Amino acid sequence: MLTYVLRRFLVAIPTLWGVATVVFIMARLLPGDPARVIAGVLATQGDVDRIRRQMGLDQPLPVQYLDFLGSLLRLDLGRSAHTNAPVLEEIGSRLPYTIELAFVALVVAVVIGILAGVTAAVRRNSKTDLIISSLSVFGISMPVYWLGLMLIIVFAVGLHALPAAGADQPTSIVLPALTLALFSVGLIARMTRSSMLEVLGQDYIRTARAMGLGSGSVIFRHALRNALLPIITVIGLQVGSLLGGAVLTETIFAWPGVGRLLIDSIFFRDYPVVQGLVLMFGATFILVNLLVDLLYAYVDPRIRYS
Amino acid sequence: MSIRASATAESLGATALEPEVAAAVGPSLALRRLLHHRSAAAGLGVLGVYILAGLLGPLLFPFNPAQNHLVDVFLPPGRPGHLLGTDNYGRDELLLILNGMRYTLSLGLLAVAIGLVVGVPLGAISGYFGGWVDIVIQRFTDVLLAFPSIVLALALVAGLGPGLRNVVIAVGVSSVPAFIRLVRADTLRLRELAFVEAARALGAPPARILLRHVIANALAPVIVQATLQMGFAILVAAGLGFFGLGVQPPTPEWGELLGEARNYIFSDPKLATFPGLAIFGAVLAFNLVGDGLRDVLDPRLR
Amino acid sequence: MRTKLLALAVVGGLALAACGNGTTGTPTGGSKQGDTLRIAIGVDPDTMDPMRQTTTTIQNIVQMVVETMVKIDTSGKVQPALATAWQTSSDGLTWTFTLRSGVKFSDGQPFNAAAVKANFDRVLDPASTCPLCGPMRGVKSVDVVDDTHVKLNLAKPIAPMLGLLTEVTFGIVAPASIQKGGSTYSDQEKPIGTGPYTLAERVKGDHVTLQRHDGYWGTKPNYKSQKFLIVPEAASREALVRAGQADVILLPPVSDLPALQRDSTVKVLLAPGDRTIFMAFNTQDSQQTLLQKPEVRQALNYAINKDQIIKSVLFGAASPMDAPMASTLFGYCKVGSYPYDVSKAKSMLQAAGASNLTINLVSPQGRYIQDFQAAQVIANDLTAVGVKVNGPRTMDWPSYLGTINVAPAKASVDMHLLGWAPGYLDASQAMVQFQSTQWPPAGLATSYYQNPEVDQLLAKANSESDQSQRATDYCTASKQIWKDAPWLFLWVQRFPIVYSSKVTGVQSIPNESFYTMYASPA
Repeated sequence: MLTYVLRRFLVAIPTLWGVATVVFIMARLLPGDPARVIAGVLATQGDVDRIRRQMGLDQPLPVQYLDFLGSLLRLDLGRSAHTNAPVLEEIGSRLPYTIELAFVALVVAVVIGILAGVTAAVRRNSKTDLIISSLSVFGISMPVYWLGLMLIIVFAVGLHALPAAGADQPTSIVLPALTLALFSVGLIARMTRSSMLEVLGQDYIRTARAMGLGSGSVIFRHALRNALLPIITVIGLQVGSLLGGAVLTETIFAWPGVGRLLIDSIFFRDYPVVQGLVLMFGATFILVNLLVDLLYAYVDPRIRYS
Repeated sequence: MSIRASATAESLGATALEPEVAAAVGPSLALRRLLHHRSAAAGLGVLGVYILAGLLGPLLFPFNPAQNHLVDVFLPPGRPGHLLGTDNYGRDELLLILNGMRYTLSLGLLAVAIGLVVGVPLGAISGYFGGWVDIVIQRFTDVLLAFPSIVLALALVAGLGPGLRNVVIAVGVSSVPAFIRLVRADTLRLRELAFVEAARALGAPPARILLRHVIANALAPVIVQATLQMGFAILVAAGLGFFGLGVQPPTPEWGELLGEARNYIFSDPKLATFPGLAIFGAVLAFNLVGDGLRDVLDPRLR
Repeated sequence: MRTKLLALAVVGGLALAACGNGTTGTPTGGSKQGDTLRIAIGVDPDTMDPMRQTTTTIQNIVQMVVETMVKIDTSGKVQPALATAWQTSSDGLTWTFTLRSGVKFSDGQPFNAAAVKANFDRVLDPASTCPLCGPMRGVKSVDVVDDTHVKLNLAKPIAPMLGLLTEVTFGIVAPASIQKGGSTYSDQEKPIGTGPYTLAERVKGDHVTLQRHDGYWGTKPNYKSQKFLIVPEAASREALVRAGQADVILLPPVSDLPALQRDSTVKVLLAPGDRTIFMAFNTQDSQQTLLQKPEVRQALNYAINKDQIIKSVLFGAASPMDAPMASTLFGYCKVGSYPYDVSKAKSMLQAAGASNLTINLVSPQGRYIQDFQAAQVIANDLTAVGVKVNGPRTMDWPSYLGTINVAPAKASVDMHLLGWAPGYLDASQAMVQFQSTQWPPAGLATSYYQNPEVDQLLAKANSESDQSQRATDYCTASKQIWKDAPWLFLWVQRFPIVYSSKVTGVQSIPNESFYTMYASPA
């Protein structure tokens, strides 16, 4: 187990480095002069040059690259061009909100998705299956921003039941989390259904049934546990999808998370923050995948020894 | 390699096919089966309507950006001459939807095409040759996969600037990893099969083996993935349009229309409803067709 | 007789109370008290430091915490605040201010001349980042005469001094919190001022909460706290006020103004503003040389149906321009109009040999009220008089600035839409647009307008100490500018504020500021 863990870690490191390099290249490829953008409209050429020197943008590219890697290792992401606060602080003050939103959405998606998928698989080709499968396909086809707007119209303005925007009420999280969860619910339900179908068709399930084990026990103790593996993979991938979906959801619901920060920073040309955020998204996803792989290996011993 | 030799290899291959590959179905049979599949047929029907409308619509009802009536603004649906009503400029809503269709569809198509053209060969090469090539390509894929599609697309468009071409590039790049992974997995499986070994033994060059044997047999899951990926690409592309980073106004791209409609959800919710429904319909249709293809082409595929 | 005397005494007492605190006569006794006033705004503060802040709405908020020497009241006039009286020397190079006594900062420190000096030293220090300090750089030094008197020594006269001092950039922050570490001052992210509120909480991206300060020297506000919710989407802000989840909102979607005006649960305040919206011509256009002719530009002014656009596109949230600046500015005088006249426009174009004009047009989107939408209609109006229009093209704001803020040789567009809102309601700020020394990239006079007479008049008016002479000079300059038509003169944007009927006393200041200081529950 330990060697497996170490191996997975070793694989993650070059990937992280690759992510950082891609971000560096993207940032330098961008058209426009970042120094001028940071200096602002009313700045003189002298201001712009001063800022260029301050940011090290006048150094040759390889030097900039090494500086960049070095500052990353020190967890120094620079300062925001827009607010002049450290990028780490800008991201750090908003990250808990996104984590909260993504976590709630994930829990909702996993619980509802797995239940729905199992139900649909067990009652294959029945009306229930049809309804659940249809809703799942609807779920992954629905544009998040449209759903969000519709929910606001119905629940906030129409019924005055839930907050239309912001994060300061206890019920503020309901609408954004539901909106965000929709795509994942559909995907997890579909994945669970097909995985369960595959497992339910196996010999050992038939054996268990023939041996007289009750339906519930068969489903949950035997079938679901074996069906879990691909589901875990999907859940891991969903974390990335939820982070991406958060960008849209947070904008519609004025939720103060990093998704909205990304959009705002792009519009302000706040490159240090954009860079920091893209890095953060990448690093988060790699770490989550690592955890998923480790979880995988824990659940399925065969993988550890392959 | 002589014609006789390749024919031998193929005949050898044909009899030596593993059960899962034996179930691969020829195109005409697949199409017939697909049309019998209820939900896929529905999806195809919807797609057919979309494509027809997308091609004919702009011809019959061309969009003239200089025409801003400003007189019949916010008309509800059902008025004479305005089946779906008008928007905040007085432009006919149906006209907008019809003219926006080709952007959405072509965005999806081009993006997936990029994914295929780049991803499939890379995946096959990665799986077939293994070793360093495999490791490098896999790490590259990992890096691409590390970013949620919309974040990657946003970052690329933020850098390259808005517009149709850059949206296609951005969404295309985010489609590539899925194909690499898929084709690699299939290649790993196929490469061990007898017919491939036979081709190698007969001295066929790797490119030929890859193309005629590996990729040809991996085609089924790739087609399924491509169809499903279309739906997803449309969602991401429309998402960029929503933020005003896609095709610029006054061009009526659906995502862009939906984004503009944000300001009017109280005075006129239909301005958000119709583009939203249009996007939803297109994505749903592709998903249904993709599901159907999966069921029809290879029942053993999950 | 006794009741009459009593009545007189009460009135007299109230009058004294009103005079003694410098507010503009808002009745305070008897207003209902409230807990929290929730206001939804559309911008996320980048900084709370008054020196670095350039966004009007955020300055608005900071001004409830940090006070200035003088302030602008709801009708746009300058009123005493922390300074009660002032004098200028005859050469205009020395300003002496009498400071209000008995004022303390919210941390208990006394407000005095030393505090004023410390603040000026900070903002005028060359190492400080103070984007709006430019016009004040004529101040050489600040002297403390005594505790309640401070002297500003100028290198050259600064005509709009009082206007400048109303900006929170020059607000007075507690000196103990101004620390100089090396060559830079510490950031003032939680400024301590003398105002009626203190900055209690700030959650980035979500809200800013102000708490009432009971040691305030003037009339206390009625709301214990004011909470500013950060909601970038206009429709979401409207949803909040309609759902009763916000009491006041700024800038709702304009298309909903008619419906909101009919809705009895909310009130709509179309606050007068100072933002002129115009389309600048490239008056030095080397590609389209016809635009260099004033007659052509005048003709195009006649081609635009401004009233119709204001009615149908802006839903009444603007007033047509009748001078190169808004009427709320010092130095404004009504000049005239370019009424909508298609035939006149066509004949003028023909007379100038410009019947086959081709121009390209750009506009921002979402920066000003219905900017891109209006630009499209303007393009139509131009087409209707025979102009071939390419565009309007749009792009995001940084790219847009990058396109128009270039030297004349690099200009690539013939016409572009822009808005201009002077912060302290003085013509000198508005006239920057017409000074040839302010051509980009040095300044933002993006029409590259050049008229030596106007330059002379403006230079004179900008340094003139006699205010009535200044006003005359600006008026003469305005008339000439109107004739030269370097712009398509469009409209002056209003500042729509919507608030719940359960709240009263919501006012505005004509520089796109809301004034909820003395709001109260209805």
